[in-house]
Amino acid sequence: MKFGFGKIKDALKGVAEKEEREKEDEEEKREREISEAREVKEKMSESEQGPGTIEELNMEAKEPVKLNEPGSGPEPLAPADRTKAEKTGLIFFPAFDWAISPTHPEREERLLYTRDQIFEEGLMDLPQIAEYTPRLAGYKDIARVHFCVPDIKAQATTPHLIAAGSCLVLADALMVGEVKNAFALVRPPGHHAMTVAHGNRGFCNINNEAILVEYLRRKYGIRRIAIVDTDVHHGDGTQEIFYNDPDVLFISFHQDGRTLYPGSGFMNELGGPKALARTINIPLPPGTPDEGILYVLDSLVLPILRDFKPELVLNSAGQDNHYTDPLANMRFSAQGYARLNEKLAPDMAVLEGGYAIQSALPYVNTGIILAMAGLDYSCVREPDYTPGMFVQASRDRKVLDEIVATQLENWKNRDFLVEETVKGLGDFYHRKKQIFYDTDMIQEFQDETIKMCPDCQGYVTIDSHAHRSINDTRVFGVSVPIYACKNCQAEAREEYKKRIRDPVYEHVYLQDKKADEYRAYDMRTKKETVY
Amino acid sequence: MLIGIDVGGTTTDAVLIGNGEVYSTAKVATEPQNLLISLLTALDAVSGEIPPERIKRVVFSTTVITNLIAEGKTDHVALLLIPGPGLNPASYNFPDSFFLKGAMDYRGREIQALDEAEVRENVSRIRDLGFLRAAVVSKFGQRNPDHEFRVAEILEEMHPECKVELGHRVSGKLNFPRRVASTMFASATKEKYRAFVAEIKKALAERDIKAPVYILKADGGTLPLEKSTEFPVETIFSGPAASTIGALALTPEGQTSVVVDIGGTTTDLALILSGKPLMASRGAKLDAFLTQVRAFAVRSIAVGGDSAVRVAEAGEGKRTITVGPDRAGPAYCMGGPEPTPTDALRVLGLIEIGDPGRAKEAVASIASRIAKTESKDEGKDEGKDAGKDEDRLGADIEAEYDYDTRAETETACRIVDIATEMIASAVREMFLEWEQEPAYRIWEVLQKKKERPENVVGVGGGARGLIAGVAEKLNARPLIPEHAEVGNAIGAAVARPTLTLNLRIDTEQKVYSVAEEGEILSLNTTDISNFNKMRSEDAEALAAKLLRERAERFGISEYAGEAEITHSEVFNVVKGWLTAGRLFDVNMQIPAGLIPEWKRREKA
Repeated sequence: MKFGFGKIKDALKGVAEKEEREKEDEEEKREREISEAREVKEKMSESEQGPGTIEELNMEAKEPVKLNEPGSGPEPLAPADRTKAEKTGLIFFPAFDWAISPTHPEREERLLYTRDQIFEEGLMDLPQIAEYTPRLAGYKDIARVHFCVPDIKAQATTPHLIAAGSCLVLADALMVGEVKNAFALVRPPGHHAMTVAHGNRGFCNINNEAILVEYLRRKYGIRRIAIVDTDVHHGDGTQEIFYNDPDVLFISFHQDGRTLYPGSGFMNELGGPKALARTINIPLPPGTPDEGILYVLDSLVLPILRDFKPELVLNSAGQDNHYTDPLANMRFSAQGYARLNEKLAPDMAVLEGGYAIQSALPYVNTGIILAMAGLDYSCVREPDYTPGMFVQASRDRKVLDEIVATQLENWKNRDFLVEETVKGLGDFYHRKKQIFYDTDMIQEFQDETIKMCPDCQGYVTIDSHAHRSINDTRVFGVSVPIYACKNCQAEAREEYKKRIRDPVYEHVYLQDKKADEYRAYDMRTKKETVY
Repeated sequence: MLIGIDVGGTTTDAVLIGNGEVYSTAKVATEPQNLLISLLTALDAVSGEIPPERIKRVVFSTTVITNLIAEGKTDHVALLLIPGPGLNPASYNFPDSFFLKGAMDYRGREIQALDEAEVRENVSRIRDLGFLRAAVVSKFGQRNPDHEFRVAEILEEMHPECKVELGHRVSGKLNFPRRVASTMFASATKEKYRAFVAEIKKALAERDIKAPVYILKADGGTLPLEKSTEFPVETIFSGPAASTIGALALTPEGQTSVVVDIGGTTTDLALILSGKPLMASRGAKLDAFLTQVRAFAVRSIAVGGDSAVRVAEAGEGKRTITVGPDRAGPAYCMGGPEPTPTDALRVLGLIEIGDPGRAKEAVASIASRIAKTESKDEGKDEGKDAGKDEDRLGADIEAEYDYDTRAETETACRIVDIATEMIASAVREMFLEWEQEPAYRIWEVLQKKKERPENVVGVGGGARGLIAGVAEKLNARPLIPEHAEVGNAIGAAVARPTLTLNLRIDTEQKVYSVAEEGEILSLNTTDISNFNKMRSEDAEALAAKLLRERAERFGISEYAGEAEITHSEVFNVVKGWLTAGRLFDVNMQIPAGLIPEWKRREKA
């Protein structure tokens, strides 16, 4: 693929400026965060019970941790028939009292004008819309996805718990058949948050979509889920979390990673050895308009979805492909977004980024809500928009053609790819990763291993080393997939027991999704927390 | 002496209060065709024996607007709507709509100009069609009413006899479709309401009553009669508001109660949470339209003392007792045509009205019909748990014991149980709905908690027999205060004025506006010196000052001190990476409550 240099230069300039400004804001931001954390802590301790149930065990005995036989967790509930549901579930949680910092794009009034627009339109009164009220997600819901360093409380503050909890409220509404589809119009966002959470990256601490997926799997026994990430930034967090999971198809289209944060999401990122081509990246040239995105949707995304036959389709719905977005360089319109959601017909959409808070968000959100509710969105239009104002460059069209052809080929050959790759591997597949937390300025190095199990997708271990300015943190996490085999589960739990005796780690985590049991061991206090 | 009068659907209730004591009460039948007569008859009944100069205050609640709308007797209104981008206006179901080009955005910036030629074309059509009233409403008109003003000017110029109502003057709240409906009703009822007020004034003058006269609004506040002609729609649903304020006046301060007003056909429910009546979150529904009229969160269910009690097939050869939703006439024991819950209450001795023989007969007819199918079953119900397990109920009744007292008692219990369960479950739903109100801020989510009623307060005529059953089901205390049967009139008599003020300040554009007043004013006219340094406290101080002025204009300045801030928020307007200004929203209100004359009595 080739780009015009001008575009890259523009885009790079944008990123550099962004980083510079962020540096300027950093100090203020830190202070604010500290005071905010304090406030939230106070609030949490005031409330009678924290979210979720936590068991704290003092582990100073000789045998530090005693793992009983793993339970199998409760039986999942059967999802209800939704064919008769007529409403679109909606939670609007603008978190008007939360910001990363006062002038950060992720700040209080991000959804203010969106509120004005959707309230003035009277959308909440429409018989096709059912408005739900948010709740806090439990710590256990977070533990199903993340290894939070040092603990969940530090990464998932109240607003994060509410944003994630809102997704869960809508998931329940969807699964009991109250609504035909749902849109969580919530912030803070989450799609850059990875399994290990040392801090905030790309404005995200915890991953709302991943928490939603694990909740749906645990509570309702949903197995095959497709996540389509329509944010302009590569959904690297969601990709990382489900990279080795053949049951979750992750498709992300985004502005080419060479021109935009987080700098990943290329076509060669196809998934772990046993989940190859279950991660499909579509790096789009900067400046791609409605036409290009809808072309990719029609000729690549929808055919793959039809083939994969997921039980649920989730839209990780960023709105920063918009032609006025200050952080990116795409040319998508409100009409384009509405059309996309109409065609994709996601069972659930979760808001991600989108920072043109005045010129885009009020119109884009109105368009998405109307499209999901099956209402006429033809009159939704930005003030400065005229149809046909953006034309797909023919050079870029060729790039798109190549992407479509390559990824369709990968998809078609997925089973063969997996077979060939696994053949050449031993008992474990090792991978080294380097992760940068742009918001919190943390460099993380990871050693990841995946058991190449013949019976299941294999358990995963992550040895993570995080460098802040002077403090280093090393943690170890073991993750057992929900559909893991007994051997993998037993082996993984042994691994956890072994690591909690190793003083090089500050924290050791066990995430046994099969047993729905989550443990975090603090080496310094010798305390184990069980979620 | 204070007078309160509630003109309800079936009866008009009046009460005379002096020194916090109820002096006299009156109940007359409402004549739907002449509400004024009903009102004056009730007034004369309570005030006849005292000299007019001793009357210090008169408050009415009336269904006049509700009736006008229900009977379709309102005036035709042409709707000139400027919807701008968003929902397709073709999906609106408003009558007589004329859509115009032009648009404002959420901050009141013009994003599309009016097409004057198009406006003129539509105005001449309106004139040719013979409309004499027009409502002009633009989306975000409350943020910038210029388009509404311009259309009004053209109307004035081309069609001067047409009376014009502007959307931003009716409501400053966000919600275009509700504002359209509210403006339409305001325009459609204004003239007839004005005539009604004129007649009242004349009648009062004839009686030499010079005391200030107020009208009760749906939010439980009083409005000077004169002033009410500007806001006729706010007087809808003042009946339930009167009952709620009455319950508030008659129950201990600060408690959580559900107010149950059981009438003949329907039961109205309202909630008092820790001493504060609960408001509907977005506004009342009127006819087929959602409006922005501030009203108490009331729920009306189709069950009352005179609801028809029938036996229905429940499938599989089983039969079940139904209560309501219709009313065939008065209770059987009062000479009506069909059995009713009142008959059941009479049989159980819970009330003393009506003919006991006829009541027995009514309940027995139900008992025999239900027994025919159930006599085969071998149930052993005690009748008390009747409603919970309908299939087995009355199972030991046999056809030949049609007139067996036990069977009648059991059936009567069951009828009462069904009726009380309908009311109790509606109350539970109301509390659940209140808990499910959306929250948009972190603190709102954190403070959500469950609340359940301590009291079930019965007001209105049908309350006496059913309240205990409802309270038992809700695990609350039944409360039928003294004078409960005229609780609504007491509520009207002791209600204090309410007033709202929604202030919005945009320091980037250097303007402020009060939604209720519809004017956009320059911040330079205020005593705020440096807009960039403005804080929430400054905005709140400005709001308090504006509220005092507004209260003065309404002639209720003595209540300005009761005003409270219900909501205050500030947002930065960031341009690029700099703060270019701030948006302040301050909402204040003088909440519904009781006048001090009544409170004094509580202490005594």
